[in-house]
Amino acid sequence: MSEVERVSESYVPFRPGLLRFEGGRGVLVGGRCRSCGAVYFPAPEVCARCQGQDLEGVDLSGRGTVYTYTVVRQSTPEFRTPYVLVYVDLPEGVRVLGQLVGCEPEAVRVGMPVEVVFEEVARDPQGRPVVGWRFHPATEA
Amino acid sequence: MDVYVVGAGMTKFGKHPDRDAVDLAVEAVNEAIRDAGVDRRRIQAAYCGHVYGGMVLGQKVLARTGLAGIPLANVENACSSGATAIREGYLAIRAGEYDVVLAFGVEHLTTRFRGALTPGEEDLEGALGLTMPAVYAMRAVRHMTEFGTTREELAYVSVKNKRNASLNPYAQFQNPVTVEDVLNSRPIADPLRLLDCCPVSDGAAAVVLASERVVGELGRSRAVRLAAASLRTGTVEVGLPSMAFEPLTRATAQDAYERAGVGPEDVDFAEVHDCFSIAEVLRVEGLGLYPVGEYPKRAARGEADIGGRLPINPSGGLLGKGHPLGATGVAQVVELVRQLRGEAGPRQIEGARVGLAHCRGGKAAGVEGAACTVLIATR
Ligand SMILES: [Zn+2]
Repeated sequence: MSEVERVSESYVPFRPGLLRFEGGRGVLVGGRCRSCGAVYFPAPEVCARCQGQDLEGVDLSGRGTVYTYTVVRQSTPEFRTPYVLVYVDLPEGVRVLGQLVGCEPEAVRVGMPVEVVFEEVARDPQGRPVVGWRFHPATEA
Repeated sequence: MDVYVVGAGMTKFGKHPDRDAVDLAVEAVNEAIRDAGVDRRRIQAAYCGHVYGGMVLGQKVLARTGLAGIPLANVENACSSGATAIREGYLAIRAGEYDVVLAFGVEHLTTRFRGALTPGEEDLEGALGLTMPAVYAMRAVRHMTEFGTTREELAYVSVKNKRNASLNPYAQFQNPVTVEDVLNSRPIADPLRLLDCCPVSDGAAAVVLASERVVGELGRSRAVRLAAASLRTGTVEVGLPSMAFEPLTRATAQDAYERAGVGPEDVDFAEVHDCFSIAEVLRVEGLGLYPVGEYPKRAARGEADIGGRLPINPSGGLLGKGHPLGATGVAQVVELVRQLRGEAGPRQIEGARVGLAHCRGGKAAGVEGAACTVLIATR
């Protein structure tokens, strides 16, 4: 059983509706306006571009490029510093914020290819794993 | 129906461990009323901007200043709270509802916060670890990537504002710093360091606004006309917009320029929301006061200094004067008044006739910024 499968059986999503697990793989779920095609993450109730009220869920690509980044050296008590934050541009035309793991902070660059990974990011009050997304330097395609 | 600022007052910004928010606001309100030379019984309504002051903070201030009984609304719009309070008063006078209105802002932030402000833990991005310094750090990376802005040029913004603050007895920082001091200060969110960030501050500021009718009575010699008070909220971003430019600031400014009948070329100086060194860059370029991408280089050449081509943040700004959230937008107008009256002492901008104040605050996932205000005052 893969890590994701094992986790997905008892996982609590970091934010319901923004991620789901299928066939042992996790995906980020955005919203697409059926009227104008605008893609969002997360999806609003009404499209900001055309005010259409009919938005459908859309699976987002697991790969993108770093638009910008920072190494956070001082934060609130819930977060252990330092950690790397990145805004990642996905091919669907949405920008997603997340923490970057899997490389030295000094190695992060604008334009760097990354992929989304799903990991336990916290424990809920019942002690169950809360699963959210992070980014990782992309492995060769 | 023109609206005038007839009185302005503020406390010294900084750490006030022995005083509370109400106490600070009382001082600022009394100073503004005294400065206006108006009988306080003529004040018909009040607006109080604050973020963390708790329930009915404004009413507690009225109760101690002989003003209880008049209508008051407490206004929260993050860092734009104080400017939004002024705008409420401006709109009420323009509507013909009142002739004399009090607007004030206050915050006792040192008892609420240490370290980095965040968008709030209920916000998606806040829960992912986004802090306000991190937002601006990532915008700085983009400005450096797109325009070749250097780390030293960003540091100069802080150097300039802390130097201006050393000429302002109401400012939190009274000592100038060097570019080296900025670059050697503690890292907060790369590439930003401690001296790129505004301090945590306590303070209050207040203004008395009056209609054309009342200003005729009080005398115009020290009155400053509030030519525009514009407010916008950030739109939801669709696609992949540049983080090195601020459409929200641009849209709010365009609204204010149109209403005031002036353009960016007419502005003699500006107080802008420099919560971080990079923030001043984005504001000034968004306001159209300097060409997009060029402000850091031009500022480093002295163009934005007092005495330069177009001075920015002569009061010291948030970086030098301090940033008690709710008080900030009101304190900017206090500086506009002092400069336009010619009462700014060693930091006076000679011949200033048009001043602009810009605030923006708050962050919500998906939007560029929460609230933005641009106020224009003329002499
Ligand atoms: Zn649409």
